[in-house]
Amino acid sequence: MSEPTVRAAVRFEWVKFRTVRSTPIGYAVTVLLTIGLGILITFAIRSHWHTMDPIARFAFDPVSTSLAGTLFAQFAVGVIGILFITSEYASGSIRATLAAIPQRWRVVTAKVLVLGVTTLIVSEVVVLAAFLIGQRIYAGVVPTATLGGPGVARSVILGGAYLALLALLGLGLGLIIRHQSAAISVYTSLLLIVPIIVIILPSSWQNTVARFEPSALGRSMMSVTPSSNMFSAWPATTVLAIYVAAILVVATVLIERRDA
Amino acid sequence: MIVVDHVTKRYGHTVALRDLSFEVPAGVITGFLGPNGSGKSTTMRVIMGLDAPQQGRATINGKTYRELSSPLHEVGALLDAKSVHPGRTARNHLRAMAASNGISRSRCDDVLEFVGLTAVANRRVGEFSLGMSQRLGIAVALLGDPGVLLFDEPINGLDPEGIRWIREVFRTLAAEGRTILVSSHLMSEMALTADQVIVIGRGSFITRGTVDDLTSAAAQDVLVRSQDNARLADAISAAGGTTSPGPGGSLQVAVLDAATVGQLALRESIALSELTPVRASLEDVFMELTASATDYTSSPGAADV
Ligand SMILES: Nc1ncnc2c1ncn2[C@@H]1O[C@H](COP(=O)(O)OP(=O)(O)OP(=O)(O)O)[C@@H](O)[C@H]1O
Ligand SMILES: [Mg+2]
Repeated sequence: MSEPTVRAAVRFEWVKFRTVRSTPIGYAVTVLLTIGLGILITFAIRSHWHTMDPIARFAFDPVSTSLAGTLFAQFAVGVIGILFITSEYASGSIRATLAAIPQRWRVVTAKVLVLGVTTLIVSEVVVLAAFLIGQRIYAGVVPTATLGGPGVARSVILGGAYLALLALLGLGLGLIIRHQSAAISVYTSLLLIVPIIVIILPSSWQNTVARFEPSALGRSMMSVTPSSNMFSAWPATTVLAIYVAAILVVATVLIERRDA
Repeated sequence: MIVVDHVTKRYGHTVALRDLSFEVPAGVITGFLGPNGSGKSTTMRVIMGLDAPQQGRATINGKTYRELSSPLHEVGALLDAKSVHPGRTARNHLRAMAASNGISRSRCDDVLEFVGLTAVANRRVGEFSLGMSQRLGIAVALLGDPGVLLFDEPINGLDPEGIRWIREVFRTLAAEGRTILVSSHLMSEMALTADQVIVIGRGSFITRGTVDDLTSAAAQDVLVRSQDNARLADAISAAGGTTSPGPGGSLQVAVLDAATVGQLALRESIALSELTPVRASLEDVFMELTASATDYTSSPGAADV
């Protein structure tokens, strides 16, 4: 029964999403960081390959290194997600949104669908491009991977999924925090400061805790062979998805209860 | 019809609305009057389901706002004209709002035309003047062709031309049989636009009626000129009235009405050259009604500003 109205809500959010500058700018930055930094990193590896030590060369992963740009692009997609909601609180247009769709969970659902699907599509294309370009650059000097190789296609696909999940994480934090700069600070802290805090922990804890922090989950999702003390790709995806779902549930409960 | 039913709304320790109840009848323009901070905007937000009251509820045609599945078809509101994403064009803002309730794109063009924004429809809302933003807000309110309309201080910040236009719009909409609730803190404005007014102060209901009812119920002064003001003043005080010097050697009488003052003069055999009831100004009436319920009363010396 509520299906047509959820569909209307999705159309609503889609028009809003594509008609502000921050969306195309955010995705342009995502493309630039994933592909541009991918090119820089793979070129750097190619030119230093012969001076790298044998152990490093042995453990070398041509897939995750070509996708390393995503670890920078994760900030761009997070900001897209944060702005998608905090810009409405900043301008006050959230009131127009909730007047149009008073069933607030529908607003959250529609935002999740619009942001999640758009970011997933963009990210998958961009991550695949970064992978292919990276292998091109490696070819002839550094060992390369093909999409048919074991775990390779999975890493590429999960690389895109990682970015989509982080955009939703940004949306959830934005819904809870409601202020753009505060939400961006919390988001970047989760990705940058939490790993530093983990390093300070006693090493026995480090081994169990470190794998749970978001950027470590991202690295697990994109590596062909899991390193020790880290999750392998699918469990890492599940853990990250649980984080995002939990934050979105909290966000939905809060928006239903709070005054607009 | 809008029903506000025993609504109490607190923000922390501030009580914005105290057990507020009133009904807004269908098909007329109802003015919603109250001094600054009396809770007009809060009431509007409660009606719109944006803020949740601690007690009571507000309904529109029998349903709370959150129970409306396609609300823009039933209620249109202009709460704050500037609350639109500044980076979006007017047309895109309308299209988004339209999409939310399954309203057609051609309807967007119609309402743009109606409010006279067609020429600037593709400009970013951030560049709009307040008057243009108000027009856009009215366009949004009318998108779903709703029978109930809410406007929070729509006159604020408009130039005389804009004010005239908005009054015209209200009249047009009322003539179409819509229920309209317009808030204001100017009684004179409501005298021109509203069929009846509801007055609140400090979040409580004070009174309701037509502006004429409220004005005639208010105490009126009498201006009197006589051949012997001093003796007349004595007679008036003896009869329980009060006097103060009026303009041009006249006497301003409070408490007693013109007929009583005339009889007193006749009894004392004082010839009168003028006897005029002074109709209280609308703002005086409003001040009188809300005096006990004003949050921020200015010092007496600062009056008439
Ligand atoms: N979000 C809020 N948080 C805290 N207090 C609030 C909030 N909104 C309103 N109030 C308080 O509630 C009271 C009523 O405010 P409201 O804005 O509803 O009055 P108003 O009649 O619209 O006034 P004005 O004529 O100035 O617009 C005020 O004391 C105000 O400070
Ligand atoms: Mg107000």
